Parts: sequence; C-alpha cells; structure tokens
Amino acid sequence: MSAPPVERTDVEVESRDRAKPRRRLDPGRAQRLGLLVVIAVLVISFGSASSAFYDQQLTIFPLLRDISILCVVGLAQLAVMSIGHMNLAVGRMAALSAMVMGLAYQELHLPLYAGLVLGLLVGAAIGALTGWIISATGVNSFVVTLAMDFVLLGLVSLVYAQFTTSAAFTVKPAGMDELRKYSLADVCLGPVCGSPAVPQLFLFTVVAMLAVGWLYSRTRVGRELLLVGSNIKAAQLSGIPTGRRVIGAHALSGTLAGLAGFMLAVTAGSFTATIGSEFMIPSFLGPVLGGTLLTGGAVSVIGTLLGTTLTQVIRQGLTLLGVGLESLNIYLGAILLLALSTGRIRTVLSERKARTSR
Amino acid sequence: MTTLGRFLPPGAGRIRRFARSTEMTLAAVGVIGFVALAADSHGSLLQGNAVRGILTYLSVPILIGLAQLVVLAAGQMNLSVGALGGFLSVFTAALMADHGVPAPLAIGIALLAGTVIGAGNGILVVVTRINGFIVTLGTMTILLGLQYRVAGTRTIDAGSAALQRFGSMSLLNVPTIFMVALVVAGGLAFFLRRVAAGRRLLASGGNPLAAELSGISNARSLVLAHTLSGLIIAVAAVVAVASAPGVNKSIGGDWLLPSFAAPIIGGAALAGGAVSVLGAVFAAFIVRLVDLARAQYSLDPSWVNFTVGAVVLGTVVIGRIQEVRQTRSRQAKPDTASQSTNSTVRSPA
Repeated sequence: MSAPPVERTDVEVESRDRAKPRRRLDPGRAQRLGLLVVIAVLVISFGSASSAFYDQQLTIFPLLRDISILCVVGLAQLAVMSIGHMNLAVGRMAALSAMVMGLAYQELHLPLYAGLVLGLLVGAAIGALTGWIISATGVNSFVVTLAMDFVLLGLVSLVYAQFTTSAAFTVKPAGMDELRKYSLADVCLGPVCGSPAVPQLFLFTVVAMLAVGWLYSRTRVGRELLLVGSNIKAAQLSGIPTGRRVIGAHALSGTLAGLAGFMLAVTAGSFTATIGSEFMIPSFLGPVLGGTLLTGGAVSVIGTLLGTTLTQVIRQGLTLLGVGLESLNIYLGAILLLALSTGRIRTVLSERKARTSR
Repeated sequence: MTTLGRFLPPGAGRIRRFARSTEMTLAAVGVIGFVALAADSHGSLLQGNAVRGILTYLSVPILIGLAQLVVLAAGQMNLSVGALGGFLSVFTAALMADHGVPAPLAIGIALLAGTVIGAGNGILVVVTRINGFIVTLGTMTILLGLQYRVAGTRTIDAGSAALQRFGSMSLLNVPTIFMVALVVAGGLAFFLRRVAAGRRLLASGGNPLAAELSGISNARSLVLAHTLSGLIIAVAAVVAVASAPGVNKSIGGDWLLPSFAAPIIGGAALAGGAVSVLGAVFAAFIVRLVDLARAQYSLDPSWVNFTVGAVVLGTVVIGRIQEVRQTRSRQAKPDTASQSTNSTVRSPA
C-alpha cells in the first residue's frame, strides 16, 4: 500500500511547481513562438549561405513533402503521448498499413483511396489491439509497443517475402504518381492556383492536423484523453471509461501511422518493408520540441508541425551546406538536447524570479 | 526524475517474488528447447564447434541485456545502448587499426570512454531533469553520427592478432568471451544484492520518494546506473570487436530491441526496483535458441523477431495475469476482491 499514493503526491507537487510559472508566461505559446523565430532565422541564414535553399523545385518541394510525412508521424506519437503512453511501434504500424495497401493494390486491384481506407482501418485495428493489451494487462505501454514492434517487424517482412519477388509492391493504382508529383499549382479555385512549392501531399497533413486539433480542443473525448494522461485516477473517478480511452488513443495512433506510411509509399513510388523504419526518432522529436508532454495531459498540434519543420529545415540546410549524413545526426541530437535543456533552464529561472519577487 | 515511474505499474515486491519462479520457468524452457533442438539435429548441436559458436554469439546479447537491466533497476531506460556499443566498437577497432594503439591500451580507452559517456547520460538526466528516455534518444542520435563519422563506409579490421586470439580462445569449449559475460553478470548480481550502493540504486528505482526520505541520493543512483550501463556496453563493444572479423557502421544497429527483451523476459519490472540478472541471462539464451532454431530449419530471419516479440508480449500478459490472481487470492477475504482485480485502476499509478 505504500508505493502508489506516495509516488502520486510527488508528481502532483512537481506539476504544481511547474504550473505556477506556466500561468504567468504561458510557456506553451512562448515555446511555439520561439520555434517559429528559430525556424525563420535558420531559413534566412541557410538561404543567404546558399541560394539553392530557396529553389522551389529542388529544395522547398521535397522539404515540405518530408515535413508533411513526418508531421503526421509526430501526430501519431502525440495521440498516445496525450494519455502519457508511448508508441515505439509507430514505424512498424506504418509498415503494416502500407503493406496492406500494397497487397490490396496488387491482389485485389483496389483503387487508390479504397486501398488507403483499408490500410487505415488495419492501422486502427493494430493500434486498438495494442491499446487493449495495455489496458487489459496494465503493463507499461513502452514494453507492449516494443514487443509489438518486434512482432510486426517479423510479420511484415514475412508477408513481403511471401507475396513479392523483389520485396516491394510496385503496382501503382491510378492517381498515385500524380499525387507524388503534383503541387498546389495543380489545384485551382477558379483563376487562383496554389504555390508550385507546396506538394499536394501536404493536404493530407492539413486534414490530419485539423482532425487531431479539433479532437483535442473541441470534443469531449479529446478532453477526456488529456485528463487520462494528466491524472488517470481522477479521470476514473469522474466516470471516464479510461480503458476505452486508452484503446482509442492507440487506435488513433495506428491510423495516423498508417496515413504516414501511405504518404511515404506514395513519395517513394512503391510499398516496401522498410517503410517506417526511420520514423521512431522523428516521431518523438516533433511533438516533444513542440511542447507536448511525454507524461501526458498536454498536447500541441501546431507545435508538432513546428518541431518537425525545425528538424527538417536543419537537416535540409546542413545537407545543402555539404554536411554529410554522419555529422547531421550529431547536430540533430545536440539540438534536441539543447532545445529541451533551455526549457528546463527557463523553468528554473522563472521559478527563481518568482521566489525573489515574493 | 520520478516522472517515468508515474505511468509504470507498481508492485515491485510482488514481481520480485514472482521472479524466482520466472527464472525457474526460463531455465526449464531453455533446457527443453535446447535438448529438443539438439535431438532434432541428431546431436550435431552438441559437438564442440557448435557449442562454442552458440556461446560465443551469446556473450553480446547477455552484456547488452545487462547494460539495459542496470538502468531499468533505477527506473530509467537507456535508448543509446546500441549506438554507444556501435560507436565504441568502431572506435576501438579504429584506434588499433588506424593509430596502431596496442590492444590492451585500446581496450582500456574503450572502457573509459564507455564509462564517461554513460556518466554523461546520467548527469544530463539529473541536471536537465528531462525524461531519461528523451535524453538517451538524443545521445543515441549523436553517437550514431559519431559512429558513421569514424567508420564511414569501410569495414574496420582491428588487425590485432592478440585480440583475435582472445576472441576465439576457449576452455573446454567454453569461449573466454562468454566467461567475460558471465563474470560481468556475476559482478552485477553481487553489486545489486550485496553492495550498499547497489541496494540504494534499487531503492531509488523502486520508490524514489521513499528512498529520498531515507537519505538516499536519487541523483547519485541515476548517475551510477547510467555509468555502469556505459561500462557494460563498453565490455560488449570490446567483445564484439574481438569476436567479429571486422566492424562497420551497422554494428550495434540491432542491439536496442534485444537489450530490452532479455531483462523484460527475465522478469525485470520496468517500474524499477526489481530485476533479475539470472533471468536476463536465461532470457538471452532463449532468444539465442530461437535464432539457432531458425538457422537449423533455414527459416526466414524475420521469424526470430516475430517469435521474440510474441514471447515478450506473452511474458508480460502471463506475468500480469499471475500477479492479478495472486492479489485476488490474497484479498479474497474481504468482499472488495472484485474491485481490486480491476487492472485498469492500478495501471497508471
């Protein structure tokens, strides 16, 4: 009887400490504003260092395409972070969905969007299954999703080995190539057309962001998810079906992972088992940099887009400046640690200021 | 520091009691599995060469499992296990191959570097108070970059005859590097069971607030756990260099998942405070058996991941069911029994 209540009070004290300066400064908004400023400064300095950075076709278009995909990946992680969980299988869920889509296109000859819906449903199902295991057993989400990652890693490779000769579904349903190449310049409202620098895939991201943002800011279910994340006991006592919310959050995560898998497959032009293998780190980078808490209870959809944009701008800029892939990781890791440390430094400083002014 | 503990299940003591039977189960599964495989291979698995091969390639899984186990004991996670191991492997090999550093000195430098980087992880966690998961995610990214930078696209052959000899040496078909792994396991078990600092580390992991109130420095425990993890990874890296003909930028890339699998199958509570070194060693052996079975029946390598994942999922689910059953039987007397078995109530504490 000793451990849980004691631990909980500790956390409560901690969060109360943190909440005080938050009300004063609204660090969430300050953080997003800071991100925006840093991104702007980086874009300007990369642009002045190499004019190729502003090249719409060669730089901006692929940059925005990567941001579109990884932002959805970030949202997939955000969905489970909102309830204080993690999804380490986010990449492999994307791989599973993409595999189902590829299979549907090759074996069932489904049209593009029917395959997409089928894949998203499978993503939702595997997410829901993961959530169900977590809520039914009470085992840490880290362990369950890690094990799920193993299972899917094996399963997806086995299916590709079974159904394909070159480990890829290369059948392209009508419209897939267009989706990859087309930008907003091909979308016209009367005489007004969009920018040729913005890929059409970005629309998927906008839809996903609007849906997730609406869920968390406007709906009862979204509020309940956040409450489950910040204090599950309180959530339970207020009559929220926490088990169902956990399953729902993971199902949402699986669906978004599936969408990201689809977007990556469209970009790459084929469905392969390696889709999603690079998703794990970015999935945390975007939301965490954007102010979403790992411990649950606070999410920022715009922050996820900004966090993702920041990492991708750095990546693209350094690549243009001739920094090799190897050094890129060093900078990215250092920036992640630095960015998060500044948040901590700010909290310490504002706490100190609050104490002296009292 | 305690934020991680927030969403991890409680009941370390109960799990520890359960862990004893877990080790027994794991040992039985391992023995039965091995005998079945050996019988089906018509005894070829029992020949000296085969035994040496099995044990040689068991050393690294055991070591990386232990490196993860020691941070799990303190209620932390170390995502940089694979990246640090990979970096140290190519670093050690490059020291010997490119700079002509003699093997013993290179090994010493590697162990020191691992310890320092591990301590750096711990200090970052304590000072910045960022979740250990994110800190080690960051250092993992940095170390991956360093590994690529050192290795490039080449395969580095350490070129040290003495080290190669050490890597292939064996006593009664038991390879020396396997003994190294066992010595590390024994040392870690002794440390966690008999040494005051080890007990403090477990206490910090099990209940940070209670530990703090009893005068234990949680910060010191965290740094110590990460430091030990770094040191053990360095040993794993040296073993990898000694047993492989060459190392490249992909070494260590597949260490992260097995590093969690061994301690978790072995009965470690992710909440910290309860681990089983013996269980982790047995679990590493079982994972190795899966790999052996795959080789023996020439199955797709993907089966290994699939099976290991299914085993981990099965282990946590069965473990939870047993735990719930134990709680139920203990609380069966008062009529609150039905309430207490609602596992979702307890999951987040």
